[in-house]
Amino acid sequence: MTAPDDVNLDRVWTNVAAEVWRRRPGRAERTATRLLRSPGLARALLTTPSLLGPWLIGSTVVLAIGALVQLGSDQPLVWLIAPAVAAVGIAYAYGPGIDPAWELACSCAVSDRLVLLTRAVVVFAVNAVLGMVASLVTLGTTAGTHTAQLTFGWLIPMTAVCALTLAVAVVVKSAAAGAGAGVAAWLVVVLGRSALASTASTPGPSPVPSASAGLAAAVTDPNLYLPYLAVAACCAAVVYYITRPQRGVQ
Amino acid sequence: MNIELSEITRRFGRNVAVDGVTLDVGPGVLGLLGPNGAGKTSLLRMLATILPPSSGNLTLLDRDPTKPADRREIRRRLGYLPQHLGYYPSFTVVEFVEYFALLKEVPPHLVPKAVAAAVEKVDLGPKAKAKLRTLSGGMLRRVGIAQAIVNEPQLLLFDEPTAGLDPEQRVAFRALIRDLGQTATVVVSTHLVEDVGAACSEVALMSDGKVVFRGTPEELIARGEAGQGVGDAPLERGYSAILGAARSTS
Repeated sequence: MTAPDDVNLDRVWTNVAAEVWRRRPGRAERTATRLLRSPGLARALLTTPSLLGPWLIGSTVVLAIGALVQLGSDQPLVWLIAPAVAAVGIAYAYGPGIDPAWELACSCAVSDRLVLLTRAVVVFAVNAVLGMVASLVTLGTTAGTHTAQLTFGWLIPMTAVCALTLAVAVVVKSAAAGAGAGVAAWLVVVLGRSALASTASTPGPSPVPSASAGLAAAVTDPNLYLPYLAVAACCAAVVYYITRPQRGVQ
Repeated sequence: MNIELSEITRRFGRNVAVDGVTLDVGPGVLGLLGPNGAGKTSLLRMLATILPPSSGNLTLLDRDPTKPADRREIRRRLGYLPQHLGYYPSFTVVEFVEYFALLKEVPPHLVPKAVAAAVEKVDLGPKAKAKLRTLSGGMLRRVGIAQAIVNEPQLLLFDEPTAGLDPEQRVAFRALIRDLGQTATVVVSTHLVEDVGAACSEVALMSDGKVVFRGTPEELIARGEAGQGVGDAPLERGYSAILGAARSTS
């Protein structure tokens, strides 16, 4: 049996193959497409290395260990770990060496800047939710703390640490450098503030009593919130500037 | 003209990768020849709008890539295969090609057919659902070619496209780019002169960041017969004669 002369068998086969090979997007991708109004951006979001299953499991495990340790002692580990975990996730969200097809993606119509910022925002949001859950689980382990302060207080330093990480990763074009800078800066703040807290005798009730008060000071000290926000704003400006569409002449 | 370059220069620190190149290219296949380090890849990355020039004017598809809106339009009509194709090992062939169709903003309802057509063109139909990590180097190269042509581009840039392909696949690829060159501008960067002889209607030869020859493959052969070129094939003799002359004058 032969096909009629006016039938283009190649075209027919292509149509058949298109139907057979058609990928059905999952619920997450459909939701992302609706929210972002761009199937390309939604797909790029779902390929984020630090949003893939193994990475999320790793982040959850780290926070769970922190929560367990905190439940068994008065060390405020969750508040201190959450910003660092989020920062590393942000650093490994997008960039050369992280995204295998980064160079190709840069030559595509969907802006690589938009991909970077979308991925960074979603990684931040996911880590904020994970941190919040861990924080709620450990609530009440430290007597005398203000619930709102310790449930959400670490979000402000987390914003600053994540913004710093992203800025360094974008400027240096290295996820490892970004993650290293963010985590190192956070360690310096935590230990520095802890040293200050242990030497200074501050009047008034401390939100976190006992030995953990010093370590928690980087999160609980309201005087640091404004500097954190200032750092976050400056770093966001740096990211905005560095990722601006290039005008051609450098 | 689909490509108009005027005195394009690209520097990396003190190193001048592309040195004042002026080139107009219309529809057809242009072979970009030259030794390693001649500036072919840098020139191609500028044409792919990934790398901005340090100086000079660049117009692609009658648009100015320094303007974000123009650049987005160019990228919708651009196909690019980099020298080192990054890929997601867990993606299937179809998923990978579809990803780039979406990033190139191919209308979503056209994506399945566009993907099927591109995969069939590179003869990867039997491997359409295979994970990329299971494919050979030559097959991955063909996946790269499929993503480059999935949006039916008007400007196609291939950097060493035949690297890793076996002789049969190379012959098929040459036929494919001859076909694509009927309607689009295809620039093929290679150091394999036989690719140029078989598939290109024009040749540009680069040395030390400069275009030192522009003409047809026949004109390149004629230079070899007239000059002091060495090599087994007429094109190789033309290539070496021009390079030798360029090096002796610089």
